[in-house]
Amino acid sequence: MASPWIAIGALALVAIAIPLGMMVVSSLLRPTVEEQGKSATYESGEIPTGSTRIRFNIQYYMVALLFVIFDIETVLIFPWTVIYRSAVGSAGLVAALVPMLVFIGVLVIGLAWAWRNGAVRWVKSPRAEQRRQERQRQ
Amino acid sequence: MVISASLVTWFSGPTLQTAPPIGDWVALTPVLLLGLTALILFVIDSIDPDDASNTPALAGTAAVGTVLALGAAVVLLAAGIGQGQGGALRLYGGQLIVDGMALFFTVIFTSVATLVIVASYDYLADRVYQAEYYMLILLAATGMTLMAAAGSLATVFISLELASLPSYALVAFLKDNRGSVEAGLKYFLIGALSSAIFAYGISLVYGATGRLGLDAIAQQLSGGTQLVGILGVGVLMVAGGFAFKTASVPFHFWAPAAYEGAPAPVSAFLSSASKAAGFVVAFRVFAVAFSPDAVAASVDWTLAFWLLAAVTMTIGNFAAATQDKVKRMLAYSSVGHAGYVLIGLAALNAGQNGLVLGASMIHLLVYGFMNTGAFLFVALAEHWEIGRTFEDYNGLGTQAPIACVAMSVFMFSLAGLPVGGGFMSKYFILVGAVGTGHFVLAALLLINSALSLYYYSRVVRSLWFEDPADSLSIDGYPVGLYAAVIGAAVITFLLLPGIFLASDVATSAASALFA
Amino acid sequence: MSVAEASTTAFAFEVAPAIAVLPLASFVIALFAGKYFPKKGALAGVTATGGSLLLSLWVMLTVAGGAYYNEEIYTLVSTPESFDLHFGVLLDPLSALMLVIVSLVSFLVHVFSLGYMNDEGERGLPRYYAGLGLFSFSMLAFVFADNLFMSFVFFELVGLCSWLLIGHWYREDAPPSAAKKAFLVTRFGDYFFLIGVVAVFATFGTATFAGSESFPVLAEEALTDGGAGGELSTFGLGAQTWFTVLGFLILGGVIGKSAQFPLHTWLPDAMEGPTPVSALIHAATMVAAGVYLVARMYGFYALSPTALAVIAFVGGFTALFAASMAVVKRDVKQVLAYSTISQYGYMMLGLGAGGYVAAVFHLMTHAFFKALLFLGAGAVIIAMHHRQDMWEMGGLREKLPVTYYTFLAGSLALAGIVPFAGFWSKDEVLYEALVHGLTDPLLLVAYLMGLIAVFFTGFYTFRMVLLTFHGEPRTHTARNPHLPGWNVKFPLVVLGILATVIGLTNMTPVAEATGLEIEFLHTWLEHGIEGLNSEHYGELLETVAGYSAAELSPLLAAALSLALALGGAGLAYSLYSGDRPDRHTDRLGDARTLLMNNYYQDEYQVWIAETFGTGVARLSDRFDQSIVDGAVNGVSSVSLFSGGRIRRIQTGIVSNYATLLTLGLVALLLVVGLTGGWFL
Repeated sequence: MASPWIAIGALALVAIAIPLGMMVVSSLLRPTVEEQGKSATYESGEIPTGSTRIRFNIQYYMVALLFVIFDIETVLIFPWTVIYRSAVGSAGLVAALVPMLVFIGVLVIGLAWAWRNGAVRWVKSPRAEQRRQERQRQ
Repeated sequence: MVISASLVTWFSGPTLQTAPPIGDWVALTPVLLLGLTALILFVIDSIDPDDASNTPALAGTAAVGTVLALGAAVVLLAAGIGQGQGGALRLYGGQLIVDGMALFFTVIFTSVATLVIVASYDYLADRVYQAEYYMLILLAATGMTLMAAAGSLATVFISLELASLPSYALVAFLKDNRGSVEAGLKYFLIGALSSAIFAYGISLVYGATGRLGLDAIAQQLSGGTQLVGILGVGVLMVAGGFAFKTASVPFHFWAPAAYEGAPAPVSAFLSSASKAAGFVVAFRVFAVAFSPDAVAASVDWTLAFWLLAAVTMTIGNFAAATQDKVKRMLAYSSVGHAGYVLIGLAALNAGQNGLVLGASMIHLLVYGFMNTGAFLFVALAEHWEIGRTFEDYNGLGTQAPIACVAMSVFMFSLAGLPVGGGFMSKYFILVGAVGTGHFVLAALLLINSALSLYYYSRVVRSLWFEDPADSLSIDGYPVGLYAAVIGAAVITFLLLPGIFLASDVATSAASALFA
Repeated sequence: MSVAEASTTAFAFEVAPAIAVLPLASFVIALFAGKYFPKKGALAGVTATGGSLLLSLWVMLTVAGGAYYNEEIYTLVSTPESFDLHFGVLLDPLSALMLVIVSLVSFLVHVFSLGYMNDEGERGLPRYYAGLGLFSFSMLAFVFADNLFMSFVFFELVGLCSWLLIGHWYREDAPPSAAKKAFLVTRFGDYFFLIGVVAVFATFGTATFAGSESFPVLAEEALTDGGAGGELSTFGLGAQTWFTVLGFLILGGVIGKSAQFPLHTWLPDAMEGPTPVSALIHAATMVAAGVYLVARMYGFYALSPTALAVIAFVGGFTALFAASMAVVKRDVKQVLAYSTISQYGYMMLGLGAGGYVAAVFHLMTHAFFKALLFLGAGAVIIAMHHRQDMWEMGGLREKLPVTYYTFLAGSLALAGIVPFAGFWSKDEVLYEALVHGLTDPLLLVAYLMGLIAVFFTGFYTFRMVLLTFHGEPRTHTARNPHLPGWNVKFPLVVLGILATVIGLTNMTPVAEATGLEIEFLHTWLEHGIEGLNSEHYGELLETVAGYSAAELSPLLAAALSLALALGGAGLAYSLYSGDRPDRHTDRLGDARTLLMNNYYQDEYQVWIAETFGTGVARLSDRFDQSIVDGAVNGVSSVSLFSGGRIRRIQTGIVSNYATLLTLGLVALLLVVGLTGGWFL
């Protein structure tokens, strides 16, 4: 029995063999010239400055997380609003409205807690402040 | 996509046609209580974010919530909700199922959570972010109880994530401790990978059957399927997701690091409750959706669990035998115990399903207490700051005899000696393995138990028979930790004569899955 | 039977477990609260055993009314399709009789202990009474056990209690060592017993004594019907051969506990314990347990003539062998110890010779007169300020009249002088051995040994009495003895009366001579649960074991043994009766040395233990070192190695984990996929 897996396996082999073969053949043919520019990070033609390991302020993530929460909230509320009228008609006000109120209530509690615990307070880093002043002095 | 689909089902589908009667909400009381307690903690912390001043309020609320949930679960279990003639309660179009097994495991989760919260009161003294700690515990417990009741692969996935995400944060709770943060990150990364595999598995199963509900999948598969390969890969990937949650080889790599790095009460919580949660959902999915009668001929997942069980218990115990640190030893022993429980899944092909699955459930119940207790003893040692290795425990019996008696009970019960329920539950598993003809697994179980006696008794030897170091001194006897350790020991011990109370419930709950 | 009567009957049986539980309660009370009580737990023990005695009597009356009881009360482990382990209560004439004996002796020993321990100001009394309570509990539960498993459990508990009580004075040198010896020697026999219990379960799937599904009945069906034998697994042997093997295995425990040759060596050493404990061990509990077990499962032994012959031969040999050693002992308790071994030899002889009733009869009479003798010896020891050498006594007759006369009654019973208890029972044992022995030479040899032992018994008994009570006092202490109180005299008097008259319940020679129906014990044991009475045993002996009894008048045999007993007593009188008896034992020369050293039994057993035992120990050590430890070390080195491997796998680098995890999943997919045939 000609199994489709044989064809798939053959395709996979070919898929691996072609790029490998190209790389091998080119490495055999081409001349090798050591040059620094080849190993440098590609930055669209700009000369790279500094390392790639830059730290973002953690507070960006906080805001991003809060954004995700509201995003998902919207995703859920939007279809609900679309069917709300027919839902009230068929299941009654309570069954249609209360679950969403509970959902939003839970989110509000979470938001209130995050707010109260300083998730949206933009704290200034003392070290960054110091650097900024140093730069101004120069 | 999966999530929004199920949510749409929630709003548009069955809910509108048949609004659940009040009785159905009652069946979910434990889950709701846990979630509500978490919300109350949010409110308390929002009103007064200063942890130092309201520690008793936070711990008290959390403890009361879990105790109430435990009580509710026990009452529901005793009242026969979702058991017996009426069959399981299917809520929200079968998205959630409340039956004997769900309630049985809810009892395990809430008991462990109660013990952990009581113990944490002392462990967390003078630390920051206490409110967050209790919230996360409660949210994870909510997720676990939902896992026990999950009735479709969508709810399985969501509840699994609800249980997992707080766990990642809990492991990294000691922010200033390198080990804790590193463990949390590793746990998260492996968890993310496993979740991806799990979700991919769900999508493949969905592709093969076109269904997400467990009953619906079973119905679809009973007629056979053309897409055996897709279904098979999907089933095994789903199994992989559960293997992560239960810390089974080869998804166990996070476990030693996470259990060792995490605060000891969190280790207790994860290695007992979280593992049990992984098992309950695995039991339900594999017993109901991929029921061995329909699927085993083409997709022999019992073979996969056979291999997992054999490898897991062997690697777990062998690795545990070479450890120097007690906590890491317990972490590996926890892997080993996952292997014992997996026998229950591996033996689901021999017509004694209720019996073998019931045995695994009982072992998880007993394990919930003895393992939690053992980790809480480690928490006690960490509280006293006496060190982590076996040698550091030398002569502790002279200083804290009661706690050391409790620890000895845990160790011997874990090894399967008749000083605690672990003896009987391991015996049931052994009987199940032999009764279904899995002699190799039974032999491995015996060999590994014998090996485990070696490293468990090392702890006992250190506690009682070695001379204490000169520097050994302990300050104070923290009430909460002591209460939790002793409570766990008493229950572990009582489960030796009282095992038959639990075994009937477990066996009938397990048999109901196959009815 | 009226309704009211039926309900009371049932009630007596329902409370029967309390017979054992009461002493258990006294054990708990004495252990935990004993030191707060005025008599340190003695009163709890006396009350409890008194209660047990009353309940036992009630049960006995109920059984006499023709009701029997055989119920499970607690199931430990139950497995469908195979056997279950349970505790149960079996009350029939045999166990009811034994319950009364045990609880009576235990009660009297408790009372006596007030005089022996409390009044003498001994220490550790709560521990002592706790031990007595546990001992009584174990023995009583052993007696009404309804299956072999339960018997084994309480058999072992009895052994444990003997260890606790013999080693009561654990600060001295000898008692702990004697306790260890008793424990280890009996344990040696119990190994065989344990194997036997397991083998019985493996063969029959049950270990209950009574009922249609009990193992003696199944074994009987296997032998008589033949057809049922195929269902039992006899491990490739013939059914009868295999049952004989089973019988021997269980007999191992019996020989250890009942101190039969060659496992009797622990018993004389056990005299290091307090004297009331000796009375309890010898009369009613530990040593009796072995013989009682054979009687309990006599329906099983009756199927195997080989096992019966061995029992009879061992019994007869032990009777003679122990009696000869008792002849030269100086310590009054040592004499009694060897007499116990000898008397239990008689019981074994009786059982082996097919005299079930005779053996039970002797078990009963012996319980009373040996308890009496030990308590009497205890009274003497109190009087002599804890000196036990008979050569330091003498002339105690005038100072201790109550002790003397009761002790004399016990001695007459032991020697087998008409009409005291021992005469009737021992005579019946010998008669049974003789009538069956006339057709079986092996039994005849056993009978002859038993008969010669009668002479020795008469001799050493009266040597003991004469040296202790007669003649001139030989030491200062003997001239000024310490006079015992009521709590010593009361048990002596009760037992003295019993030792005198209890034999009258079963006067076989008289019944034979006069034709009167006065063999009450025969009648008593003929009834009982079906398959569990002496009538049935008699049939089994004839049909299965092939025993046949010769026609012989019991009067002749009785006259012969009485003459020998009187001869022994007379020899003792002629040698030791004067005011200042000589140490005639010296004239025995080398024989005395041999006897004093107990035929070098201890030495040869130590030698065996040291040569073979050490050899075996060395072998097993080597086995342990090379094979077991090798395996364990192998496992641990493998596990250390693989643990190292696992550690190497557990690199701590998450990306490695992810790789391994994925590879593991792929491997799993491949294995399951290949076996499932997905790729075809």
